[in-house]
Amino acid sequence: MFSKILIANRGEIALRVLRACRTLGIGAVVAYSEADRDSLAAQLADEAICIGPADARRSYLSAPAVISAAVVTGCDAIHPGYGFLSEDAGFADVVRAHGLTFIGPPAEVLERFASKEATRRLLEAHGLRTIPGSGMLRDEEHALEEAARIGYPVLIKPSAGGGGKGMRLIRTPHELETSFKVSRSEAKAGFGDDSLYLEKYLEDNRHLEVQVAVDRFGQAIHMGERDCSVQRRHQKIIEETPSPALSDAARQELCARAVRAVVEAGYENLGTLEFLVDAKGDAYFIEINCRIQVEHPITEMCTGIDMVAMQIAIAAGEPLGITQADVVSEGHAIEFRILAEDPGKDFRPQSGQILGYLAPGGPGVRMDTHIYAGYEVPPYYDSLLGKLSVWAPDRSQAIARGDAALRELLVDGITTNIDLHRAILANEVFIDGKVTTNLLDRVGSAPFVAAGNR
Amino acid sequence: MPQDRQGGTAAAGRDAGAAAEPSVAGLDARTERDHKAISRLADDLLPALIAKLAASGLGEIEVRDGDWKARLRKPIGTGDRKPGGRSSVEGLPGHGITAGRSPSAALAHSAGEERDRLAREKAQADETASVPIVATSPAVGVFQPRKDTAVGMHVRAGDRLGTVDVLGVREDVVAPVDGVIGLSLAEAGEAVEYGQELVRIELPENSRGLAANSADREAAAVLGEA
Repeated sequence: MFSKILIANRGEIALRVLRACRTLGIGAVVAYSEADRDSLAAQLADEAICIGPADARRSYLSAPAVISAAVVTGCDAIHPGYGFLSEDAGFADVVRAHGLTFIGPPAEVLERFASKEATRRLLEAHGLRTIPGSGMLRDEEHALEEAARIGYPVLIKPSAGGGGKGMRLIRTPHELETSFKVSRSEAKAGFGDDSLYLEKYLEDNRHLEVQVAVDRFGQAIHMGERDCSVQRRHQKIIEETPSPALSDAARQELCARAVRAVVEAGYENLGTLEFLVDAKGDAYFIEINCRIQVEHPITEMCTGIDMVAMQIAIAAGEPLGITQADVVSEGHAIEFRILAEDPGKDFRPQSGQILGYLAPGGPGVRMDTHIYAGYEVPPYYDSLLGKLSVWAPDRSQAIARGDAALRELLVDGITTNIDLHRAILANEVFIDGKVTTNLLDRVGSAPFVAAGNR
Repeated sequence: MPQDRQGGTAAAGRDAGAAAEPSVAGLDARTERDHKAISRLADDLLPALIAKLAASGLGEIEVRDGDWKARLRKPIGTGDRKPGGRSSVEGLPGHGITAGRSPSAALAHSAGEERDRLAREKAQADETASVPIVATSPAVGVFQPRKDTAVGMHVRAGDRLGTVDVLGVREDVVAPVDGVIGLSLAEAGEAVEYGQELVRIELPENSRGLAANSADREAAAVLGEA
């Protein structure tokens, strides 16, 4: 096991990793940018080190800054959190070259799963159904040909992207012509790689994902699925587990198939396989996330597994120590992403000082956040203020607990989406478990916001 | 000389410590009268200035009131800024570096604690006769002062004072202003973090007016980059 871990991330996930280190008895150093000096993780850490200015390219995204910080503080491993350098094979390789361990899949595994397009082909060969799509697009003409073959509507996606970023829905050849160049330059600017591909767009689909863990010895488990269908512009807002859309048999089948495919494909460490499920219930594999995910707490609440601790242990070369039979998922959990966004103003990100903050409590309530009263939300990073997760023996009780907790949660001084969450919980489509990924975008958020104000 | 920490800094006085807004710190404030001046600045002047600055499109605002001046600069969101001086960190070479501020200090917001902090910062400031400006670390790594430099040597703005070794790549530590090399705040071979104060540059007593001007020029130059 490691003696000391550098936490190369910010916000709530830096705090989450710090907590895992403490429960494992491992030292931790929080690496922060100048803008995050007052963040809770930096304050609660036994050690914290400033690695650069607010600009993430010179701090959280700078491999030399992160690795140098680990070296000078005597760390033997680096936890990258999510986003930033968490799935960067080059970074993982350099970390290893400096005699440190990257907490995540080994560099060659990240490399193998780096391209979404290649990953889909790889896992298709190992038994996962994939959405009809194109190869890498050479040019606009090639894109038009491929789109005609697949059939509109299609999504144009950057190969190096993630989290729905840089994706565009295209309904006509004309839209494709106007969007192609923009998408290409956005991909270049956003991910440093302008490779694009097309994918058939499934209307009225659900977004499901299967959580897996594979150790160095090829032992693997899945920890069930999460339903992330409540989205706005491809960004997840609410996640729940288990999915109300799957029967137990379908769940078992999907999860078993997913874990078998990644083991055969040589995956290692924590991973999440994302699927789109169409109206008929067919699941299409879309991508794998080679890191801890934002929404991991709901899986932890149902399985009782500390997934970050598990991730660290696997990276340290330890065996999983449990088999599939040991993984028992109980009850129902829902996570609400509390965002510093103003739903009344087109979800514009908000920054400024948190004047007051009160966390909700009660049975089955968990709050993962880095904010506190007096904290200044910096304008440089994403708008995630925290995650409120609730657990209950069944879905209807989880919804009730979620609503009670959202009523209790107080974030004063900055506009958030708390009321939008309450409105979604009260919506019949959600209560019936029939949300599809396009719901919020199709009906717009205004009816939800308005309903929430009643 | 403004020595800001992060954004939203308010600095006041002929020299300035820095503090989270709305607060001030002063140098050469040796009398009761100065304490009152500080209170007046903190309670009356600064809130009004902050409102003015927020309402304007300006990046920086400065006013003079008798012997005192207060300068406000907008947070770094308005433009990338050079790493400013900040509270130094404690740490042993090769070991971790602890954040300079304790949670209680950062979370503190009551006026009483604010006053206590002002008093402490004033006491620290009083120890320094001339106006200190500090060369800070450009990166996280291992500090090596330049061998052919010594305390008392004259340097020009931009002169190299040493390096910070980042995984074998050396980044220069440079003098932010013209002056005389003063106290070294980090040992050779010490692990330093980004923005850490490394070498003081003293501005001789008789050139204080000049120093203030030079600092103004520097501030203007920084703003010009934004």
